[in-house]
Amino acid sequence: MTAIDTAGRGDAWRRLQFFFDSKVHVRLESLIVLALLCVAMTVLSPYFLSVSNFLNILLATSTIGVLAIGATLILSSAGLDLSLGSVLGLSGVAGAYLSVELEWPWFMAIIGALGSGALAGYINGQLITRTRIPAFIVTLGMLGIARGVALIIAPNGGAIYGLPDIVVYLGQGRPFGVPTPVVILVLTALIAHYVLAYSRFGMHTLAMGDNEGAARATGIPVERLRRELYAISGLLAGLAGLIFMARVNAGDPTAGYTYELTAITATIIGGTSLFGGRGSILGALVGALIMGVLQNGLNLLAVQSYYQQIAIGAVLIIAVYIDQLQSERERKS
Amino acid sequence: MTLLEVKAVAKHFGAVQVLNGVDLTIEAGTVTGLVGDNGAGKSTLMKTITGLYGTDGGEIRFDGKPMTGLNPGQRRALGIEMIYQDLALARQQDVAANIFLGREPVKWAFGILPGFVDKAKMDADARKMIDRLGARIPSIHRPVGMFSGGQQQTVAIARALTFNPKLVIMDEPTAALAVREVESVLKLIRQMRDEGIAVILISHRLNDVFEVTDRIVVLRQGRIEADLQTGKTQMREVVGYIVGAH
Amino acid sequence: MTKLKTVLLASVLIAFGSAAAAADKPIYGVLMKTLANPFWGAMEQGVKAGAKAAGVEYYLQAVESDQAAEPQLNTCNTMLEKKPAVMITAAINSTILLPCLKRANEMKIPVVDLDNNLDPKVTKDAGVNIAFHIGSNNETAGAQGADYVAKKVGKDAKGPVLVIEGLSGNITGQRRAKGFAEELKKVAPGLEVVASLPGDWDRGKAANITNDILTKYPDLKVIFAANDGMALGAVETVFAANKGKQVTIVGVDGNSDAVKSIKAGRLTASVAQLPYLVGKQAVENVKKVVAGGKVDEVIYVPTLVLTKDVLEKGTEPMLKYVK
Ligand SMILES: Nc1ncnc2c1ncn2[C@@H]1O[C@H](COP(=O)(O)OP(=O)(O)OP(=O)(O)O)[C@@H](O)[C@H]1O
Ligand SMILES: [Mg+2]
Repeated sequence: MTAIDTAGRGDAWRRLQFFFDSKVHVRLESLIVLALLCVAMTVLSPYFLSVSNFLNILLATSTIGVLAIGATLILSSAGLDLSLGSVLGLSGVAGAYLSVELEWPWFMAIIGALGSGALAGYINGQLITRTRIPAFIVTLGMLGIARGVALIIAPNGGAIYGLPDIVVYLGQGRPFGVPTPVVILVLTALIAHYVLAYSRFGMHTLAMGDNEGAARATGIPVERLRRELYAISGLLAGLAGLIFMARVNAGDPTAGYTYELTAITATIIGGTSLFGGRGSILGALVGALIMGVLQNGLNLLAVQSYYQQIAIGAVLIIAVYIDQLQSERERKS
Repeated sequence: MTLLEVKAVAKHFGAVQVLNGVDLTIEAGTVTGLVGDNGAGKSTLMKTITGLYGTDGGEIRFDGKPMTGLNPGQRRALGIEMIYQDLALARQQDVAANIFLGREPVKWAFGILPGFVDKAKMDADARKMIDRLGARIPSIHRPVGMFSGGQQQTVAIARALTFNPKLVIMDEPTAALAVREVESVLKLIRQMRDEGIAVILISHRLNDVFEVTDRIVVLRQGRIEADLQTGKTQMREVVGYIVGAH
Repeated sequence: MTKLKTVLLASVLIAFGSAAAAADKPIYGVLMKTLANPFWGAMEQGVKAGAKAAGVEYYLQAVESDQAAEPQLNTCNTMLEKKPAVMITAAINSTILLPCLKRANEMKIPVVDLDNNLDPKVTKDAGVNIAFHIGSNNETAGAQGADYVAKKVGKDAKGPVLVIEGLSGNITGQRRAKGFAEELKKVAPGLEVVASLPGDWDRGKAANITNDILTKYPDLKVIFAANDGMALGAVETVFAANKGKQVTIVGVDGNSDAVKSIKAGRLTASVAQLPYLVGKQAVENVKKVVAGGKVDEVIYVPTLVLTKDVLEKGTEPMLKYVK
């Protein structure tokens, strides 16, 4: 860690940090953690460093990555969406139900997945802004409701197996050798990144998360913005559900169990503030990759389950600690 | 020319009646001091003018138009700006983002995507505004939370002045400032008046109020207690109205 | 909720109806975890069939989910008020029902541990007397998977094997994985378990693990997953990598989507549990106990390896218990 502890180090380092923060929109610290982890895995396993393994990691990161994009938008606005994982499960079941059980055309699987996700998010947003119930409670309620509905739709609580080929392609295809989910993740992340970092919508989201009163006073329609954010978050959970469903070729009502926590963790590792006002989509992606690389490495090394849990917990704390060092400095300077 | 007309405005929070039928008119190109005890209702009255609070009764007209039903953004667009006592800045955003909050200039990203913020223009305009205020700020790319209280106040003032306001309400703008900064704020207020902007200054520092205003209005327990020409009154009289000794 | 209400209402009606119709027939109390799950639904059918064959009445209760431990204890106590001839219980965990079961002992009501949820050591320490424990044996299920693998790829086959465990720390998944690994060592020593990793009952995670292991062992020969969901996640990854012919994949449970996948020639096999048979044999055996007979302290109901062959031929007699 001494390499990163730079308190008192010269201006050049600080300027570099600033460059990454403001121009690349990723914290230098997160990138260093990711790089160190990759170096460690390369040393430990000869199978780690290869294009195909890198694609594996990206593929394994795709669902969590898409969820983390939603989590970043919500956390940036000082909100919270605990229903991401359950909505993922519901979307997959809804899509599979329409196309497999009801035998509707293949595109209904896509519309069903995305639509049910967006609907769940829309309901979250309406409840939060109209009833003034805290987001924590509303989305926790939706966590239960979405899971319950998924289990009811799925026959006997089991999975709906065997999707149309085109839909499966979204999970298992490899256009130009790149897995489709990875393509979807990258495109979604680029769009979301530009929206959060460069659009009015994004700037208003950050301002609202930073100081809601100030945002309202300058004329930003914070309630409408909040509703839109939760609907988008739900839509992204639906997209993650679509990817998951297509990858495993089934609508599984238990899919995405506790994924919201993993997604929020990735987001925090990537430098997004738990309390709003600061958020980075690319950072969240780096955070998700840190967890993906770690998991991939642990699998390649065939590390036993209890030790895996310890390693994941430890890396999480270290990664956020390193990020903290920077905020600490900011407060002092 | 009457710019702002407040007629019989009332407002309560729960059981607390904060404003009891306030009447107030403001002329363009004048500076009005609004004074009163803590909790007199000064900030609340101003927030009903900017649209942050609705009213329970009465009417507010600006430039002859009724303001009822307009949100803060729409009122800003008509030329009402306020520097809030409590709702200042988004601390983690930079200077330009704060100055242009809610009004970011847009362009088409890559020529195809609408709604993208023109950061270059924002930065340039923000820098111009800060320079015009003669303020010293370390870097306009820093989060404003890293600035001193006075520097933050400058950013808030810059926000109020950037969009050609007709009425600027300043709620305790000098409370956090050093002597030199106070002077420059007062100078700025005179400058605004000369440009034909109406200013409402809320301050507990009566010296500043006497120095820069044309007129002093005293608010007491949600009512207008007195409306005085600055040149024809004295500190002692104003204090008397504030504490209710008259 | 309505499902639950219907179940409760139905059990109440059955209880009243049967009490009125056949006051002389003994009434068995059956307490399950939940009915909102195909596994318990099949078990209920087995109980029904067993009761019919044995000429006894039963009334059945369940709670809203397999997490509702305390409500299950309350339900258990209420059931004792009706003084059933026996209590057949599927406890939500190994301790929650003990006070109720102890009371049943005092009332001289024989107690049956349905689906092996109680730990014989714990019940003995608590002074609770269990007539017998009945259920499928998870270790044997794993071992059966290993036997099948040896038969399928040959006992002299060599190559890497991946085991995908359940949720880290979950006893059911651990037993299945252990049973598989130990048996495989005996019956096909050339097959080496190169990794045994936690899939957390998550098919997405199982898919990722499979991908990672295929990177390291492109010649992967066998995958054993502790449940069907994870096995199916592995199947999709293996087929996406065009290795469907090379890798033998075995799951556990005999779920309907696993059956579909087996019939489609994707999943190689699933070791099916037979909850129907568990329910049926529980009633049959407890009748013996009531009549003063002796039964084994622990009764294991067999599990059945489902393969494409078995499913297509349809001649396997136990197949009728796959619900
Ligand atoms: N949002 C609110 N909810 C409830 N009560 C409020 C709210 N805002 C103000 N009040 C109450 O209204 C009264 C007037 O408050 P206001 O802030 O307008 O006073 P002020 O004249 O600006 O005082 P100061 O000089 O201390 O800033 C106070 O009693 C205050 O407690
Ligand atoms: Mg005030």
